[in-house]
Amino acid sequence: MNPGQDEADAARQLRETIAAQFGRSLHIRTLDTGSCAVCEQEIRLLTAPHYDLQRLGFFFTPAPRHADLLLVTGPMVRAFDVAARKTYEAMPGPKVVVATGACALGGVYPQDPFVHGQVSEVLPVDVWIPGCPPSPLALLQGLSVAVGRLTEKITGLTFTADDVSSGGAS
Amino acid sequence: MPLWFVRGLRRGVVTTRYPARPDSSSAFLPTPPAFRPRQLTRETADRIVAACPSLALSRQGDELVFDVGACTACGRCAAAAPHAVTSSSEFELASTTRSALVKKIPILGDLR
Repeated sequence: MNPGQDEADAARQLRETIAAQFGRSLHIRTLDTGSCAVCEQEIRLLTAPHYDLQRLGFFFTPAPRHADLLLVTGPMVRAFDVAARKTYEAMPGPKVVVATGACALGGVYPQDPFVHGQVSEVLPVDVWIPGCPPSPLALLQGLSVAVGRLTEKITGLTFTADDVSSGGAS
Repeated sequence: MPLWFVRGLRRGVVTTRYPARPDSSSAFLPTPPAFRPRQLTRETADRIVAACPSLALSRQGDELVFDVGACTACGRCAAAAPHAVTSSSEFELASTTRSALVKKIPILGDLR
């Protein structure tokens, strides 16, 4: 057996192990497009000791140029169009856009003249996180779905309940 | 050694293990509603559609269309028709497609 080949294999294996163990960090830039700031409060809680986002390799960054993931909140105020596009274009690829909260998904202000009503009208959204506000646990699940660590659960849910516990005459 | 360090060691780890393990605090979260199709009549459906402040509910014929993305989990539909609406207890709602968040609930209460 060729000893050089063995060394090359070992080096490749080591590289893959290092990539698997350490190559999972991801930097998040938050973008507030007219949110009421409750989504921001929940996002800030992610770095608190109970949730400790950094243990999963997620970090917040103030610069879009350092960001891999754009966490967008709010109903996309029309005055924010240019800033939103600039932020998105400043991010290096590959990039992920996550719409966070009912406003960003098109729920609360669907027909308001001052807002687009949903983030997907301006930015290409990859993951939607419902909730008003989404709890830190829901945000953790959404971020895990965004990086492919969890599979989404919503397609299997029907939002119907059994009829047994009802008090009505059925 | 500072006292807060010793106290911290004694109290143990407070960080949740989610997503590897379930988190006990998830039971206290407000969650979107779940509907009982056999208790839903067209009249009940119209009443809870009118009660929804974030336009997450609409009725199309014999189907109640529920947009989970628009739902704010306020609980007004459950207050308007407590026999037909309950809590879903689901907080893991993230989706990679917007259309997967729109659910159609059959209205079966008029069939009897």
